[in-house]
Amino acid sequence: MSESIGLTARHSAPAGHAAAGRPLLELRDLDTDIALRRGTVHALDGISLDVAPGQTLGVVGESGSGKTMTALSIMGLLPPGGRVTGGQILFEGRDLRSLPTDEVRRIRGVRMGMVFQDPLTSLNPTIRIGAQVAEPLRVHKRVGRAEARDRAIEILRRVGMPRPERIVDNYPHELSGGMRQRVAIAMALVCSPSLLIADEPTTALDVTTQRQILELIDDLREEFGMAVILVTHDLGVIAGRADRVAVMYAGRVVETAATEQLFHAPRHRYTEALMRALPESAIRDSGGHDRLISIPGLPPDLSGPLTGCRFAARCSYVSDDCRTTDPSLTPGAHQHACLHPVPTPAGAVTGPVPARVEPAAEPARVEPAAAPARVEPAAAPVTAAPAEVTELPVLSVQNLVKNYPVHGRGLLRRTAGQVSAVADVSFAVRPGETFGLVGESGCGKSTVGRLSVGLERPSAGQIVLDGTDLTDLTGRERRRMHRQVQLMFQDSYAAMNPRMRVDAILAEPLEIQKVGDSSARQARIATLLDQVGLSRRALERYPHEFSGGQLQRIGLARSLALHPRLIVGDEPVSALDVSIQAQVLNLMRDLQRELGLAYIFISHDLSVVDYMADRIGVMYLGKLVEIGPAREVVRAARHPYTQALVDAVPSITPDRAATRDGTTIRGELPSALDPPTGCRFRTRCPRAADICTTEPPLAGGLHQVACHLPLRPEPTGTPTQVQAVG
Amino acid sequence: MSTLSEAVGPAEPTDTPPRGLWRQGLTVFCENRLALVGLGLFVLLAGVSFLGPLVYQTDQVHTDLASVHLAPGEQGHLLGTDGVGYDQLGRLMLGGQTSIIVGLAAGVLATIVGTLLGAIAGFFGGWVDAAVMRVVDAMMSIPSLFLFMLLAAIVTPSAPMLILIIGAFAWLGPARLVRGEALTLRSREYVQAMRGMGGTGGRAVRRHIIPNAIGTVIVNATFQVADAILYVAYLSFLGLGIPPPAANWGGMLSDGLADTYSGHWWLLYPPGIAIILIVLAFNFIGDGLRDAFEVRLRRR
Amino acid sequence: MARYLIARLGQALIVIVLVTVIAFLILHLLPGGAARATLGKEATLEQLAAFNHEMGYDRPLIQQYGMYVQRLLQGDLGYSYQLNQSVLEAIEQRLPKTMVLSLLSTLLAVVLAIPLGVLQAIRRNRWPDYAITALSLLAYATPIFFLGLMMIIVFSQVWPILPPEAPQGFTVAELLADPAGLVLPTATLAIVTIAVYARYVRSSMIDNLNENYVRTARSKGLSERRVVLRHTLRNGLFPVITLLGMYLPALFSGALVVESLFNFPGMGQLFWQAALKRDFPILLGVTVIISIATVVGALVADLLYAAVDPRVRLRGSAT
Repeated sequence: MSESIGLTARHSAPAGHAAAGRPLLELRDLDTDIALRRGTVHALDGISLDVAPGQTLGVVGESGSGKTMTALSIMGLLPPGGRVTGGQILFEGRDLRSLPTDEVRRIRGVRMGMVFQDPLTSLNPTIRIGAQVAEPLRVHKRVGRAEARDRAIEILRRVGMPRPERIVDNYPHELSGGMRQRVAIAMALVCSPSLLIADEPTTALDVTTQRQILELIDDLREEFGMAVILVTHDLGVIAGRADRVAVMYAGRVVETAATEQLFHAPRHRYTEALMRALPESAIRDSGGHDRLISIPGLPPDLSGPLTGCRFAARCSYVSDDCRTTDPSLTPGAHQHACLHPVPTPAGAVTGPVPARVEPAAEPARVEPAAAPARVEPAAAPVTAAPAEVTELPVLSVQNLVKNYPVHGRGLLRRTAGQVSAVADVSFAVRPGETFGLVGESGCGKSTVGRLSVGLERPSAGQIVLDGTDLTDLTGRERRRMHRQVQLMFQDSYAAMNPRMRVDAILAEPLEIQKVGDSSARQARIATLLDQVGLSRRALERYPHEFSGGQLQRIGLARSLALHPRLIVGDEPVSALDVSIQAQVLNLMRDLQRELGLAYIFISHDLSVVDYMADRIGVMYLGKLVEIGPAREVVRAARHPYTQALVDAVPSITPDRAATRDGTTIRGELPSALDPPTGCRFRTRCPRAADICTTEPPLAGGLHQVACHLPLRPEPTGTPTQVQAVG
Repeated sequence: MSTLSEAVGPAEPTDTPPRGLWRQGLTVFCENRLALVGLGLFVLLAGVSFLGPLVYQTDQVHTDLASVHLAPGEQGHLLGTDGVGYDQLGRLMLGGQTSIIVGLAAGVLATIVGTLLGAIAGFFGGWVDAAVMRVVDAMMSIPSLFLFMLLAAIVTPSAPMLILIIGAFAWLGPARLVRGEALTLRSREYVQAMRGMGGTGGRAVRRHIIPNAIGTVIVNATFQVADAILYVAYLSFLGLGIPPPAANWGGMLSDGLADTYSGHWWLLYPPGIAIILIVLAFNFIGDGLRDAFEVRLRRR
Repeated sequence: MARYLIARLGQALIVIVLVTVIAFLILHLLPGGAARATLGKEATLEQLAAFNHEMGYDRPLIQQYGMYVQRLLQGDLGYSYQLNQSVLEAIEQRLPKTMVLSLLSTLLAVVLAIPLGVLQAIRRNRWPDYAITALSLLAYATPIFFLGLMMIIVFSQVWPILPPEAPQGFTVAELLADPAGLVLPTATLAIVTIAVYARYVRSSMIDNLNENYVRTARSKGLSERRVVLRHTLRNGLFPVITLLGMYLPALFSGALVVESLFNFPGMGQLFWQAALKRDFPILLGVTVIISIATVVGALVADLLYAAVDPRVRLRGSAT
């Protein structure tokens, strides 16, 4: 993997292809239906898209938009009940729908390759890596066993697998998620296809791994001269990589343009709203936070007949004609299907736009100009760090340690030991404050959350709640104290008993803590529903009748029932679409202001934490490596790991997306069974030195870092006063 | 099936009036045509067995050696008579009563015993769990028919005795099932959420584990009943069933075996078919109930 | 793997010990105890007392169990006065024949059930699936002896091509010398087994066909045939190996009925005759031996599974 392929190189090489005539792939009016028990869903309705040779097309949309169905329709891999009912799929000039199946299969195997979302389940668990990678060669090119093995090793080396000659004889479960995704890519590329379809290739991976994989796909595209369709829900992933973007909504393409053009000046009101719903759009450089612009409601049900613009019901600019007229894509290079498009900003090129736009030197931000009447005024900026440090913290955690014993039974080659999930973590949360906890999977952030709410007992250390040390208390007293701290789950559906109605779910905490009588509880439940913006009708329904965002509201209501002072949210919005995520984040902030709540906001998503948190703690392999005011941690990271996280976050702002050679970390997360001595990050740190074999203390004033060689000193002027964090 | 759910999109906030879980489950059950067939079969067989004798009265106590092996229709015997002169149709009804009662009672007994032991093992865990489950393993490795026959050889079988024997040894399956269910449910996030609110283990069992495990238990019970009916038939065939004049379908069928070569088909096929139908009925009902209890089936 | 092996062996050992405890308790819960069971109803009280003393049955229960185990380890399963033969000898004569019957029908069942189950899975919810499901359910709901009887009626009465009775050979070789006589008993036992196996293969295959790796395989442009044969089949069939072990108790129960119906001179028939004559030494001896066979069979199946499936082989955990 060469690191130095810069913007210019990426943008100049394939430019010739686009003009070279026929596109590689053309979708013409593609319709796809999926027959389900409850009726037929019209998953795709008249999709038309072009992909030129060597070009990257980004297809972006939320759940149910049809982006994955588009990919699967091209590949002929629709789920049972799925069928392409109309239109053409022209690949290299031939309609795949009218070719014989054997021919299509060959094309699929040789000329196209596909990479799927979940690398853990996408490989056959009982076939060796080498055999799986080489299978297309063996089947389509009749390559012999020995040669196939050599070619497998070769391609694995090209996707950056360490020791490929050994990996070929391994089974998938012996590799990490990121490594398996590399195998999947190798498998897709082994026949040198002219088109690679990557369906959410990095969604299941950590950000630092995501970055490695996306760069790999980019580099390989160059190398193989192939076209790429990158399907994702993440606008940031597209912004840095694609040449053109198609935005999908409810089974249709609503806007398509060159990437820079689209992000610079979106025309469709949905695209605009989607971009403004991103937390990064609301973070002001001045330091304050705007309220997120959320999109109300839910996407339409695609099983019924739909008239007019499909976004009309959720659009702030809707007029009567939107509900009756079905808008079609405008002609030209920047196509959109909106009756009331965003006005073209001055200076932007109108009419035919060159396929590639060089990144503007000073890219304009997407300003929420002409704010629609519906949008509430921006919330008062929350001060980055509360002034009164003297105030007693709601929760203070000191030298927290959690080890899980590993049972020897069934574990091979490993002696029974213990997993060091949380190692000596200390922090405090003040009233009304949001403390963000970020880190990648396996860093121990969720365990810290579970320890904080008392779901698990620490192996060592103190949890002080309102000045009382919980470790001294008996079970009953501890339970009473824990009213003060409540947990909000990532998957609220799993966190609710499917056999209980919402009224019973919301009443449960009150019953457990014996709060009030039945009528008082009823009243409390009604208040809770109002607070989270759900109607009373929700009470008589069961969890399975709600959407993800609604469930998250119910989960929040339940957390609030006991008037807690602190809510621990463990990835509370990670499973939600951007537009719904904005609704829930806004709600959380509103309630914080109204009720004076403190949050511990745990997430792998730095941009969400950046938006929500006043202070941020960064965890790596059970250790807190950096802690400080949100703004400083994100914009002036002191720990190399934090910097790597910050650099890896995909952003829709081109200048941020463009920085591709910041701190890149390599290798794999070490096992928590046997963490590295000294600084736990040193095995992957680009700056590691001899001193790093000794453990660095968390040091500093307000912005502390556990690093011997911090990237930058703590800004002067900050009081070097040591907080509750010993 | 992530692709499928993506295509469907998020569940709409339904505008239909709210319905209880039982109502929703009933709808799912009724959508399963085989389940309805099973229910119909059971009602029919039970109805004929228990109500039939009121309409079609026969003497099932005294043998009538003057009219043995009458063909169907002769002397008003709709299904003929057997080797000692009992009316075959009347006997089928009487036998049906025993088969259904013994099957139901043994199945229910096995379910209750198994559920209790499984729940205890799953809830307490540790050495209690290990002890109960090793005993279950040991007893499961003794083929059940061998065990039943051993016991039937010790005690003289009667209907209540058969219920006890089968019920006392068929609980292994349910015990294992309930234990597994209790273990999974205990680690569910909603039980953890409740713990986070300060709830006790007792509440977890009462409000969360039992209501969610009950479906599995009931579904399994229907299969237990089907198995118990078959076991009674086997024991009767092997000469260790309920002695005459009491009747059950299994016993009638094994009596009929002697008539295979004599052309008395009415002594062989009706009880055989009756057993097949009742066992099928409980299997169909069980399958339908399984769907009906599966709340997640109704999500999307 | 070694760790798993040891754990699994230990578990099997515990189960076998428990089985002997259960058998021992049943023997001693008998009215009149072991003496009455061995000597029969006509024995006088003096005879019983003498027998009890001789066998040590007047000592504490724990000691008796110790002696019982000691005798078991020496191969002494007791003596059947009704057969005038030691229990071990009686079982030694019969067990191989039961094994022949069980193995043959299992083999037949596996050979037929796998293609049927696979066919059902790839033609899911279409007529071949429905037809096989219906037949499986029917086979499952039919008492084995009724099924066997139907077979006898069809193949020896209506269309007399096969004998209705099993061969009465004294040794396994004599048994196998008359293959025609083996057909009906084997087929009868196999039909019920096929029903169970096919159902299992079907659901295991369907689970695997829904896995993401199958979609990946299709994306490589493989033919459906190769997707099923090369990718899904082995993963779908691995769990069937454990089913072979789990199904043993039911298989032996079935063999008991089949042997009784076809007068097959195996352990089931021995057991059946002993039950009718209340010959308890035989009943308990057979129960213990058949249970040990079950435990060992299940153990072998589990180990085999662990040996072939790389997920278990390399990780060493059965689940």
